[in-house]
Amino acid sequence: MTLTLAGVGYRYAGASRPSLLDVDLELPDGAVVGLVGPSEAGKTTVCLVASGLAPRTVSGQIRGRVLLDGEDVDAWPMHRLSARIGIGFENPSTQLSQVAGTVFEEVAFGPMNLGAARDEVVERTWEALTNMRIDDLAERDPGRLSGGQQQLVAMAGLLAMRPAHLVLDEPTAQLDPAGTRLVGEAIARLAAGGASILVAEQKTDLLAEVADRVVVIADGRILFSGPADETLADPRLVEAGVAEPAPVRLRRAAEAAGLDPARLEVPLDA
Amino acid sequence: MPELRSEGLAHVYRDGGVRALDGVDLVIRPGERVVLVGQNGSGKTTLVRHLNGLLRPTEGRVLLDGADAGGMTVAQLAASVGLVFQDPGRQIFASSVRGEVEFGPRNLGRSGPELRDAVDDALAATGLGGEERTNPYDLGQSRRKLLALASVLAMRTPVLVLDEPTTGQDARGVERVRAIVESAASAGRTVIAISHDMRFAAEVFERVVVMRGGRVIADGPPGEAFAPGAWDGLRSTYLEPPLSARIGDRLGLGSTPTDAALIDALRRSDP
Amino acid sequence: MAGRVRLTDPQPARGLPDFLGRPGPTPVHRLNPLTKATLATVTAVAAVALGGLVGPILLVAVAVLVPAALARVLGRLLRLALLLALPIAISAFLVNLFFFPGAERVLLRIGPITATAEGLEFALQILVRILAISGAVTLFYLTTRPADLVVDLERRGISPRAAFVANASVQTVPAMVDRAAQITAAQRARGLDTEGSLWRRIRGIIPIVGPVILGSIAEVEERTMALEARGFTRPGRRTLLWAPADAGLERLARWAMVAALLALIVARVAGIWT
Repeated sequence: MTLTLAGVGYRYAGASRPSLLDVDLELPDGAVVGLVGPSEAGKTTVCLVASGLAPRTVSGQIRGRVLLDGEDVDAWPMHRLSARIGIGFENPSTQLSQVAGTVFEEVAFGPMNLGAARDEVVERTWEALTNMRIDDLAERDPGRLSGGQQQLVAMAGLLAMRPAHLVLDEPTAQLDPAGTRLVGEAIARLAAGGASILVAEQKTDLLAEVADRVVVIADGRILFSGPADETLADPRLVEAGVAEPAPVRLRRAAEAAGLDPARLEVPLDA
Repeated sequence: MPELRSEGLAHVYRDGGVRALDGVDLVIRPGERVVLVGQNGSGKTTLVRHLNGLLRPTEGRVLLDGADAGGMTVAQLAASVGLVFQDPGRQIFASSVRGEVEFGPRNLGRSGPELRDAVDDALAATGLGGEERTNPYDLGQSRRKLLALASVLAMRTPVLVLDEPTTGQDARGVERVRAIVESAASAGRTVIAISHDMRFAAEVFERVVVMRGGRVIADGPPGEAFAPGAWDGLRSTYLEPPLSARIGDRLGLGSTPTDAALIDALRRSDP
Repeated sequence: MAGRVRLTDPQPARGLPDFLGRPGPTPVHRLNPLTKATLATVTAVAAVALGGLVGPILLVAVAVLVPAALARVLGRLLRLALLLALPIAISAFLVNLFFFPGAERVLLRIGPITATAEGLEFALQILVRILAISGAVTLFYLTTRPADLVVDLERRGISPRAAFVANASVQTVPAMVDRAAQITAAQRARGLDTEGSLWRRIRGIIPIVGPVILGSIAEVEERTMALEARGFTRPGRRTLLWAPADAGLERLARWAMVAALLALIVARVAGIWT
């Protein structure tokens, strides 16, 4: 089920200028697309439009079309979209419902809302917990977990909805290195399992590991895009205000010093 | 510029009884650029909150230029030690950027042209000069963080403490923070930062203090703190050495904590 | 992603975890929340409706103290109920003791005011009723988990949105207190004086209240989006994982209590029983 943004423009209610202009983006089944750009370039807006929260919950004017397998979802209500597209945000704690005493109930929140039969709710919840490798946290109080763990719980909560696509808006932005690793590994596992993920990130090193394609956005427009390796090594990336992955940066530094960058290609332990 | 010193500093949080600091002896000389690294819960934030009196020692003491900080109120210490919190959402209250930045220096008794200059400088340093009248909540999250930084910069304290200044910043934001640290340092101010960005730590600071379990487990210049011999210690607190250090080690070039150090070492190893 | 994301090993079938809806420690705890709520309400109303002193005292003994003992919360109940009732109880008692209108039998004279026997009688009656109400409410509070009550109500028909509001409201206060503490720390770090003169401290409230409210409001949008992304706005019922048990006997008991209360009220109003 391909998720497509075709010529999408978006202006938030009350804003003087549009936040997105003429954005074309495709998320096919099983693809991991990274979205990079400087702060306030429109990455969050793309995520909100892709998930349907804009213009339904976050008011504004939308131009262009959002399509699921070719069908325009313009008239779909939010709860219908939320079963197909899951969206995660950067703040780990505001994504928690705050009404669940245990991680199990937190993750079950979504399927419960969908009105699925109880057995199915339970099955989906365990499935999601296992995928995120947090079965052992099932009985814990979500409010007392670390930021990284909370992000995993939030992602499990999305997975329990069995969405066709996952949209993640800077999931590691507020996490420490341990949390970033947890979430990065989870994303890599999902990607390896064939999930479709649109992930906005500043950490291009993370995208170098998991993304198939990378899209570069600035000032509400797509600057360029392409296969992950190529795009992340493109010199225009830095000009656009995005930090290149560390290996790319080091290669460039070596070249600038007149050294052979190939000397830096050494196998490192995991 | 004051010297900051902790002697046998320990802190136990009242609720939960967690011994977040377990005997820290640290001396920070005037004008030093120090970065504290270590996983969440290693005691970094607890430590820096003792420097401006927000937390008081359970054992030991904190000295500001030889005087016991225990005898000073937080408001008094704030004139010497400016602490920028990690989450801007927990302090912004003014309806304009300028108003927000003025709060700190006003509390310290600044007014008139002195106040104006301090605010102007802080706004310029954080790139918010054009947003004076903007409502802080109309700024994006990353610029709000810069606003929080500006509001403490304007206080012109001799010691500046930054809690995770680069988290959530894009490349340009990180550059701004770097420039602010360097300019504060060249003005002779002491800069203490908490960071989990190892590259930022290695490139911008002259001293790296590694913490774990409420104690300092390593303390030295980046070349030492990120040297291969120190990696086990780093990993024990969930940190990874910068890529340049790992490549340098693989190539047998010794300790290369920064890009520049690695390139330098490569050049020197040319036959 | 149905079928898209493959698990590494096939997982054994796992049912509803047993830590959900764990029954309470005593039979009283395990009573359905609605039953306990009915008991508390009927007790409180009956305490007022019953005449005299003996009736309410017996009521407190049977409907509050005995269940509390069975639930092993008697000590806590006495402490909490007294604490809750104390301010009102003391003032009501004293006012009636000394200022009961039309009283003749004097017990004690302290300067211009007199304690009367009629006053004492009435004051005791008021006291017992206040303690009965306080005890009934406290008993309910001590033997019922708020989440259980909300789930039970939702099972009986309140909307999931209403249930959510009920549950989330409980969270609001501690979250705000926490936020206020963090904001206070940040403002103090910018020189806000919270240790100086009273006037300074009063002035210092503004830079704290502002962010508490603004920050909470700003968070509301994020939280709303996260909820909507999980199907919160889907109309109609949602599936509940569990609900507190409700036995036919309890249902009978609830009706019986309400019927008894109505009978009592009718009897009192009709003057049959004083």
